[in-house]
Formats: sequence, C-alpha cells, structure tokens
Amino acid sequence: MPQTTPTPSEFAAFWDALDAELAGLPAVADLEPLPLRSGPDYTCYTLRLTSVGPYRIFGYYSVPTGPGPHPGLLLTPRYGSVNHVPDYAERKRYAVLQIMHRGQRLADRPYAAAYPGLLTDGIDTPEGYVYRGIVADCLRAAEFLASRDEVDRSRIGIAGDDLAIITAARRPVFSVLQVTGYLLYRAAEARLRSEAYPTEELNDYTRAFPDQEAAIDQTVGYYGAELFAPAVTIPSQLAVGDDGAINGPEWLAPLAEALGGPVDLYRLTHAGGADNDALDTWLAGQLGVPPLPKFLRELA
Amino acid sequence: MPRPRPAPDTYKTGLIRPPDFDQFWQGVLADAAEIPLNPSMEPVPHRSTDEVEVFEIGYDSLDGVRIAGWYCRPRETYLTGPYPGLLLVPGYISEPTLPKSWAKLGYAAVGVAPRGKLRSNGQFNPGYPGLLLENSMDRNTYSYRGFYVDAVRALDFVKTRPEVDAERIGVHGSSQGGALTIVVSALRAGEIAAAAAGAPYLCCIMESARLSHTYPYEEINEYLRLYPEREAAMTETMAYFDCVNLAPLVTCPTMVYIGQVDDCVPPETGYALRDALTCPVEFHASDDCAHDAGVYWKMSRVTSFLAEHLQPASTGRRAEQTVG
Repeated sequence: MPQTTPTPSEFAAFWDALDAELAGLPAVADLEPLPLRSGPDYTCYTLRLTSVGPYRIFGYYSVPTGPGPHPGLLLTPRYGSVNHVPDYAERKRYAVLQIMHRGQRLADRPYAAAYPGLLTDGIDTPEGYVYRGIVADCLRAAEFLASRDEVDRSRIGIAGDDLAIITAARRPVFSVLQVTGYLLYRAAEARLRSEAYPTEELNDYTRAFPDQEAAIDQTVGYYGAELFAPAVTIPSQLAVGDDGAINGPEWLAPLAEALGGPVDLYRLTHAGGADNDALDTWLAGQLGVPPLPKFLRELA
Repeated sequence: MPRPRPAPDTYKTGLIRPPDFDQFWQGVLADAAEIPLNPSMEPVPHRSTDEVEVFEIGYDSLDGVRIAGWYCRPRETYLTGPYPGLLLVPGYISEPTLPKSWAKLGYAAVGVAPRGKLRSNGQFNPGYPGLLLENSMDRNTYSYRGFYVDAVRALDFVKTRPEVDAERIGVHGSSQGGALTIVVSALRAGEIAAAAAGAPYLCCIMESARLSHTYPYEEINEYLRLYPEREAAMTETMAYFDCVNLAPLVTCPTMVYIGQVDDCVPPETGYALRDALTCPVEFHASDDCAHDAGVYWKMSRVTSFLAEHLQPASTGRRAEQTVG
C-alpha cells in the first residue's frame, strides 16, 4: 500500500510555503458598490483580490444596513462553475463574503476550470495541484474579511465544504465553523467507494493514467481535512449523512475526533427545508443573530 | 402588512396565456427547423468504462450557436441495443450531467448544455446571475428563446443515433431542469414518451418573484427595484416562456415532484403546473422539503417511473440523484 499521507514535517513545510508566498503578494483589494444587488437591508459590492500566481479572484461582499460592527461570514466556494450571490437571509444578518476561486465564473480569466476536470487538474504533484491555488484563494478571502472595520472580529463564521476546514485551520480569525460537504476528505479511499461525480473524476484519471495512481493519492493526502482539523479549536458543526455513506458518522469519525474544538454533529434528515433551518439556527446562535428561514412564512 | 402564507395547494395563478402563444412557438420552431443540426460526436476514452462509452457531442442551434453535451451509451458487450433515449436537462447554476449512471441503467443518455453553460458559452454568456433577465424586454430576443430550443434540439440529436429507439425517449431534470423537462415535452409532444420534473422552475415566473427572496427569482426583484417601469414589458415576455402556459401541450405521462417549503421555486407554482397539465400526471409534494424536492425519497420513484415507460434493458441499478 503506497503512502498517501504526508509526514507532519512535509505537511507543515508544504503549507507554510504557501503562506509565505501569499504573504509576499499584496492583496490589492478592489471593492465596488453593486447597486443592482443592493437593497434597503444591505449593500452589495464586487470584490477583487490578488492571490498566488499571481491571480485575480472575485467575490460578492455584502454588508447589512445599520450600525456595525456586524458578524462576518465567509462562504467558501462550492464545486462547480458558479457560486450565487449570498442569499437574502444571510445578507440581512452578516457581513458576508462569497468568494469565487480561480477558474470559477467571474474569476475565470485567464484560467477557466472544466467540470468535470477541475478535481484532477495538476494532480500529479501536490505543488502543481490546482487546489493549492484554490486554498490560497480562500485564505486570501479570510484575510480580507478579518481586516474589515465593519466586521466584528470576535464573531466571524466560515461555512462550506472541507475548504472551510482548511481555511479555518490556516487562518485563526474565525469563531465558528460549519461544514456541509466533503470533497477532498479521505479522497483516496472515497474514490474506491463511489462512481458519482465529482469523485468519479479521480477514477477517470486513474483509468487514463494507471501509473499515476499512487501519485494522485499522495497529492490528495496533502489536502485531507483531518490533517488540518487539530488546528481548528473553535466550535464546529459537521453535517452528517446516513450510516455507511461517504459523509456518514463512521466515515466522518476521524475528522470529528481530530477537530481541536467542540464538535456538533448534525444528522441530516434529507428534508431540505428542515435541514436548512436547523443548520441556520445553529450558525445564527453561534454568531449572535436571530435565525431566519429562507422559506417565507409570511408574505408582503 | 405581512400576512400568513396560505397553503400552497390553494394557490390560483393569475398568469395569462397570450392569444398568440402557440403561433409564437410555431414560429420559433420553424426558424430552428431551418438550421441544419450538424451533429458531432467525439469519444472520451478516459471517462469511459467497461460498461459505458462516453462522448462529447455538439450540434447547431438557433442564432448559429454551437451547443455542447455529453452522450453516454451502454457498450454492446454490456447491454445490447436498441436503447431508450433519455435527455438530462440542467439546473440554473449546475453543470450539465455526465450521465454515466443512467447509461449503466440501459439508457442512451444525453447531458444537455444549453447556451451559456460551460462548453456552450463561446457565443452567448450572460452569466449567473444574468441568464434569467438577459434581453427580457423582448420575447423575440429573450435568452430563454434560444436556451429552450437548445434543449429541444438535443432530442433531434439523440434521434440521429441508430442505437436509439425513437419510440422510447424520455426527459428528466430538476429545478431549471424541471422546467426544461416541461419545455421539451410540450414543444415536441408526441416524440417524448415520459417526463419527470423535479422542483420545476419557470412556472408562474413573475408571481414566483413575489413569493421568494432566493436566486434566481431574486434577480427579478432586484432588477425591478431599479427599473420598476419595465415590469409590464417583462411580464409580457415571461408569459411566452412560462411553463404553466406550455403545460397543456404536454401529452406524455409526466411525474412532478416538489418540496412544500421550497424557498427557491415556490411550491404554489408546482401546484399551478400540476393543474395546468392535461396529460397523465403523477404528483408528489414532500413536507419539510425545499429545493431538494424530496429527491432523497423520490429518486427511486423517478427511476422506476422512467423505466416503466421507457423499458431499459437493465433496471437493477441506481442512478445518481438529480440535482437542480
């Protein structure tokens, strides 16, 4: 069985090098008001930042109307070409940033990610893997949000897939973490258990390049959320799927055990409305704002 | 003054079907029919398996836009043809499906990428947000005019394939994919044998924006906050593209499934669609479910519903859950 997990010193050196590279690059934040996406309850901006490469990334940043500081919320990018503008319910309560990583729409020049394709781009080496830059993009977004005067620095949350775990581990500016998806966590094992995309991209790649199988498992080992988890000492919530599933309690147990702070395991009901409300209520409680369901129970 | 939201199944739409609605779409389809399909199909070996062959496809559509897609079919050594055809139509921000799991079920399956989606955005790329309102003041230039035709012409593509039984072609998707399911079934009635639509978007479009603060409908609210004087023109355009107005044209057996607390596609509009359909309808509404439309429980029924009508050679496996 080939080694798929880097040693602690390899792991630390790899990510410290990325931090050093980022530190040497000014972010040159460019915020522009976006009247079309603003309203009585919030003001929305487009945001551009420089990340490693150098590469210019994009975000939607929205600030609630009224006196701040406001609790902050960073939404890490989903796996797909598009991320929405933050939802109305989030924009009313949080200074919220949805970042688009390199390759996604609005950050897709000069590099446009392919779907499927992104998950294996440069995967032959940890240094060349596209996710190294994507992690840097998320770290840059965290630095931006934590630098804002309108943000209450004692109340900044982060939510998303395992990019949120990695970001929270590398940038201790957050007070709470919520994880609702798992992309690179135990990826070398997950691909052996799944034919569903995007994980199937890894299988496609190993079919095409069987001699690279050990190398890709080694690469994704550097991005395993469980290795970052001990550095996350804030309260965390993990969305947990069914027994036996790749997001089920047994699958996530090593991650939950490795996290360095208190962990809340939310067992998904699979009824999206109920799950959305429960996840929202937990995050809102952690950040000191009222829960706000997305489904409108009253109409104007 | 806010008022409690009534039960969604009591909703009565005020949507009006334009008197020249059928004439409009006959004209659009006639324009499309003038354009040669020019189908292309390139093998993608590294995404193919022992059971399924994967191809990148292309075809021409309205305004000369080249449309991409994925085509997956069982290998002859795995299942012998002819195969039923299945169009998988995409959600608003989701990527077009690479439908290997459906091909493993015995379908010759197309994952459609209408204009603006990745690989079909070289000539048209309004973005997201953007697509819903692109040129929405004029029905003759509105984005969804071409977008709908792109989905319809995927049917023409699959019918060019000799391994496909043209009498057994279905269509399925959720959210915008649910809308496109209705669109294709309506505009090519008689050529679609079964349809399954989850959380169907683009029903009662203008009314939906008043029932939701979630994207994509929030695009309408934001736009009209800045340009309230344009509401009448937008309303007039949208009526030609509203799936509730297309619904009476659908003739095939149709499954519709919705979430009762869907913040994205208001459940009221799912009921409006159900009421407008005159074909055989199987309707499911799941409590506590939102834009997922209860797919966790309903996916097995989607699979069996399509199998009952389309008769694939193998029904012993499961397809990936459909996302919108």
